[in-house]
Amino acid sequence: MSVVVIAVATESGVPIFSRKRGNNESVQFSTIASLHGINMFSKCHNLSMIDTQVDNGAILWKEYCKSVTLIGIVTGGLECDLELLLSCVHDAMVFCIGKKELENLKNIDQIKRDLRQCYPILDYLLESLDPNALSSPLPTLVLDLIQSILCPQAQQLQQALDNYAESVTGRWACLIIHGHLVATSSDFSELDPREARLMLLLAAAQDGAPLRDTPVYLPQMSPNVAFRAVTCKLLADVYILVVCGATPALSQIDEIVLQCWESYASIIKEAKLAHPRNLPMSLAFEPCVLGVLIININKRRCVFSRHLHISSQKGRGMSGAHRMDILRTFYVTSARDLAPELKLKDGNPKGPDEEIANMCETYWCSEYHKCHAQRSGNILCCTLYASTVQMQTIRLITNQILQDLSTNKDVYW
Amino acid sequence: MNNFKNKMSYDSPCDSDNDWTNSSDDSKYSDSESSVPEWDSDVGEDGELVFIKTKTNNENADIKTPLLENCETFKLRNNFKRSSTRRSTKGRIFKVLKAHKSKNTEIGTRKDVDGVLASGASRNVPTDEKFIIIQVSKSMIFSSEKNCQIEKLFGLSLETHADEKTLTVADFLTEARAIYTPKIKKGYYLSKINGVDVNSYNINNILQRVVEDHNSPKLTFQVPSKGHNVDLERLLKSKNAPENSLTHLLKESLCSVLYICCNDIEYNSNDDKGVLYCYPRPFNQNFLYNTRGAYVTLNHLAPKSLGTSEPTNSTVLHNNTLINVTYTSHYSDLLLVAFPNKEVDLFAAKKVITDIVRLLEFLYGSLKSSFTKPNNVDKLDSLFARIFVTLIVNSKASKDDGSRNVGLYFEDMLAAHSVTLPLEVKVQVDDAITELEAADYREWTDDVENFQRLYTVIGSCLYYSGHLLSSHLLDEDLKEINAYLRLNGILKLSTEKELEKLVMWREVFIHEHRKQNNNDGNEYRISDGRWFLLTVGKGHFILATLMEAGGCTEDAVGVTPPSPFYVEECESCLELLYDVGLNKYLASWYCSNSQPQVETSPEYLTKYGKKIRDVNTLKPDSTLKTSTLKLTKLQTDKRRHNSSEQINVGSSTSDMNSMNSLTNYGSHHSLYTQSYNTGQKYRHSSLDVSGYSEDSNSLKSNSEVSEERVQGRRADREQRNRRDSSGSDSDWDRLDGSRASGSIDMSDIRKSLLNEINHVTAQRITAGEENVLFHFVQLESEKGILIAPVKNIEMQANNVLYSYIIKTFRSACKRIHELLQHSIRFKKNHAPSNPLNKILVAVKEHGMLFQAPLDILSQCGISKKNTEPYLFWVVGRVFSEPEPRELYLCYHESVPQDLTEVAYLLSYLE
Repeated sequence: MSVVVIAVATESGVPIFSRKRGNNESVQFSTIASLHGINMFSKCHNLSMIDTQVDNGAILWKEYCKSVTLIGIVTGGLECDLELLLSCVHDAMVFCIGKKELENLKNIDQIKRDLRQCYPILDYLLESLDPNALSSPLPTLVLDLIQSILCPQAQQLQQALDNYAESVTGRWACLIIHGHLVATSSDFSELDPREARLMLLLAAAQDGAPLRDTPVYLPQMSPNVAFRAVTCKLLADVYILVVCGATPALSQIDEIVLQCWESYASIIKEAKLAHPRNLPMSLAFEPCVLGVLIININKRRCVFSRHLHISSQKGRGMSGAHRMDILRTFYVTSARDLAPELKLKDGNPKGPDEEIANMCETYWCSEYHKCHAQRSGNILCCTLYASTVQMQTIRLITNQILQDLSTNKDVYW
Repeated sequence: MNNFKNKMSYDSPCDSDNDWTNSSDDSKYSDSESSVPEWDSDVGEDGELVFIKTKTNNENADIKTPLLENCETFKLRNNFKRSSTRRSTKGRIFKVLKAHKSKNTEIGTRKDVDGVLASGASRNVPTDEKFIIIQVSKSMIFSSEKNCQIEKLFGLSLETHADEKTLTVADFLTEARAIYTPKIKKGYYLSKINGVDVNSYNINNILQRVVEDHNSPKLTFQVPSKGHNVDLERLLKSKNAPENSLTHLLKESLCSVLYICCNDIEYNSNDDKGVLYCYPRPFNQNFLYNTRGAYVTLNHLAPKSLGTSEPTNSTVLHNNTLINVTYTSHYSDLLLVAFPNKEVDLFAAKKVITDIVRLLEFLYGSLKSSFTKPNNVDKLDSLFARIFVTLIVNSKASKDDGSRNVGLYFEDMLAAHSVTLPLEVKVQVDDAITELEAADYREWTDDVENFQRLYTVIGSCLYYSGHLLSSHLLDEDLKEINAYLRLNGILKLSTEKELEKLVMWREVFIHEHRKQNNNDGNEYRISDGRWFLLTVGKGHFILATLMEAGGCTEDAVGVTPPSPFYVEECESCLELLYDVGLNKYLASWYCSNSQPQVETSPEYLTKYGKKIRDVNTLKPDSTLKTSTLKLTKLQTDKRRHNSSEQINVGSSTSDMNSMNSLTNYGSHHSLYTQSYNTGQKYRHSSLDVSGYSEDSNSLKSNSEVSEERVQGRRADREQRNRRDSSGSDSDWDRLDGSRASGSIDMSDIRKSLLNEINHVTAQRITAGEENVLFHFVQLESEKGILIAPVKNIEMQANNVLYSYIIKTFRSACKRIHELLQHSIRFKKNHAPSNPLNKILVAVKEHGMLFQAPLDILSQCGISKKNTEPYLFWVVGRVFSEPEPRELYLCYHESVPQDLTEVAYLLSYLE
């Protein structure tokens, strides 16, 4: 599998960057020029190339801000929504340098240099598509969802975050453990889910730094005025992130962090234990359930879990990473149709498949496993089962999981 | 009286075994040998022939006078003259069916009343909707700038249709707009004025009369039913390039073909920069031509610089229309075909392009030769015009009609749609074709030594109303011939119209031979010869025969026109099918919804629906669904008799079941459904196919049922079952035996056939007490065959909820099919050049559960208050052994189904 994303200045044809993941060779300059030429040529003839399929892959052109053309090429049977990927890449570009810069594109060399800081984010995005890279601690498995951990401590932590955000004159704060969103301040939901996801990627990209601030543009909310995102490492793999104004200074924030969070160390440690199960212990699963992907559709948050059963994890045939990949592929290819609202709004003019809009359950049977997805209101549950379980049983169990999720008090999104 | 006569004449042939042969001996008129066939003048310079004659009076006529028609058929048969010497011993078995026919005519014809498949389309739309009558007050005089009589009188302007005869509404004068809109729209045809047919020739006379008449004129408008009303028949027959109006229409709809030669030498030598073919023309108005640079570059770039495969298709937006452009590389050349997404979506485009490529290779040997063959442009033009018309223009029409499914059906795109026939009928059909294929030389001429055959028949396939009945072709040949018949619109034509005579002849390049050229030196090469495809049609039958010249037969040299002898052979084969009444039989079979039965009244599966059904049961005769066949008096009596028997049997469950079957199926088919149902509630479907268990059942519960009947049927079924299970040819043995003895035992077979046809057992393939199956598709992609309920099942059902379910089924199937292809491709090619997704290749089954929206349910009379959600599954599964087979099912959620089991049961029906 391989995926390549190329950015070209639409007018001048100057290549801005090219990122790739996978085993293909990097795209040559002349090829980029030809690819761009194809798009420009067809535009001259009042024709726009929406989508091109190749055997086992696709090529996609997409123009943003009337100044930048993104070209995506994916091959090798990788299941991904290329259009969504390009739109995420564009978001990341805006996130780093702002929309105005991108639109004007005055000093391309400068912009190229500025965009280098978003490379780690872009690489994370591409990496998240690669099934071979699943074993690495990833902040995102699915492009359009925020990967989270559900833990009973979230409610308490929310208070702390509110408190902390107030102290630094910010509004939006969140706590990140192992790259997963654990708790948010109460206003955090004001952020567009895609902005929130970029925040998480930012924190992941700045791994190692104890305290750091970065100017960020919020692609939806404030594409032209930069905010200040402050990431702070509390414990190993635990970060808090807050979006605030120019003050207080970083040194002051350092002190505030200490004040606000000192007393929460034990709670955070407890919350940290939820990883890698990512779900409260009070949620129990049948032994035949090999993995779940639970999605909160409104909040665009998802929880992956493959460590559902404490004992007897060893000796099972399927590796954990593979299970995640199955669930992810299942979600991307089939289960996403259960939640039509997750589709890109300004997406493909092909329009949604109205015919399958009324779907309420879907499943796969493969030789080694079965996948089942069911939606109940705002929650979508994709579940991976052993291949021996009967379909009727599967439907019952998934239904039970959905009920548990809605009644369990430890589940706090 | 007619009836009586008819019966008499039919009864006689079965009395003696020699009757058939006698009669054909009688009809051996050697003097007609010199006669020139009526299609002779239509043979083109290249030897190709397209001759089509459709019946001007549509089926309505023969439905009204079915018996009369039977008489004609009979006369026809008697007078049938063979211009070539041939003594036919054909139809030993046919005789049986034929004999049976006499008894069956009443049923057959009455079934016809309920709708021959082909005519269903037109009948679906009530006639009053097709014609709109508007009365224009005489006192109104409209001001016409052009001082045009029509404008003055009626306030509308007309123009002549492309056929230069029909008048269509071009515009309304502002004052008159209120009279016409919204009933009349631009483009409607003005068909009558004061009840007199009007066309461009007589319009002036008629207007004169209107002026003189004091009454207010009545205008009858016709809704253009076939949309753009492209006459497929004419298009097929025309030897010239398609008319400008059609080309314009295709240009408008943004269909396009382009063949580009990309190697340098030809690129430079060609005036049009390597473009060898482009349609619709002129070049500079063809968007594909104008933007070809993009596709050519991409086609070049993708494999060389991006490391991907060549592009397969692009979706582009042009003038706010989404268009799917498909790529097909042929060495350094590139074939581009574009379809508007609205009519041919991406899924369909991918399937259609493989068919188009198949067709071009079949007709011309290779892509390159199709576009480089001299003087071929006109032929290609009309070929592509036909392809686009079949795919696009006519699908537009159906969309205008209303809620009918848009675009191409899932079933149509994948393979030849075939139907399961009862074994007995299948044997008849196969036998007829086999006899044609065997072309037993000795029977044709006495001069065996001096005559060499012109052609060897390689194989043939038979269609009825667009459904494949039987194919004796190699898989690849069938796929190609199916593409040929479908894309040329021949299947469509044979479905929509009743053909009086269709003869088509042309040279083709068979797959086996084309492929062989690639690796020469093979020991088992097939001989270098020439191949011809002869297509003959009659009624709704289409018989395509593939013939070989060369090898053991005479070499065909130069221009080869069709041989009248072979045409007649094929015609007589169809004639024979007619004689045995297969046309009638199939018409009713297609309407019988029996093998396997699908539930066309899905609302009956809800609690509320069951109540409705129970209420309806009290007056069963009045509530027969449209899909069922009307019963004859005789049958009704029979049925009553039988159901009373049933009640006598007194099984505790029989009451409910008989009610079900009465209302649900209402036809004589229920006769047997009932007895099956008795006491067999749960395992019903699984037992249905096995004759033994059924027997044991009938023994147990139907002990009072007359022994004779059970035995006749049982004997037959048992025999069939034995054959199925053991693989022995017992059925054949028996037939052979009777043939050899040539005397008795025919009565038994006749009876069994009669039974089979009179009482078609409605087979079920789903588990559970109720029939929860709404639709199914079984696709054998390797064979190019697909089994599904008949195409007009939706029309037969005439049910909003059913239509919704089918629509959902079709779009879901597209998704499932695409997913399952990963597994099929993987199994086919273990080390693919392009790595496949590891996870997707393992998926064998994919299901989706849907909920019917409330508004659809309420349209079906299920009130909003008391509805549990109406859920139904669409499930697809691939069986990879021995060759990939895909099964798609659509069923109600109430009974879980195992697809393996369903596939197993379905295989019994084949």
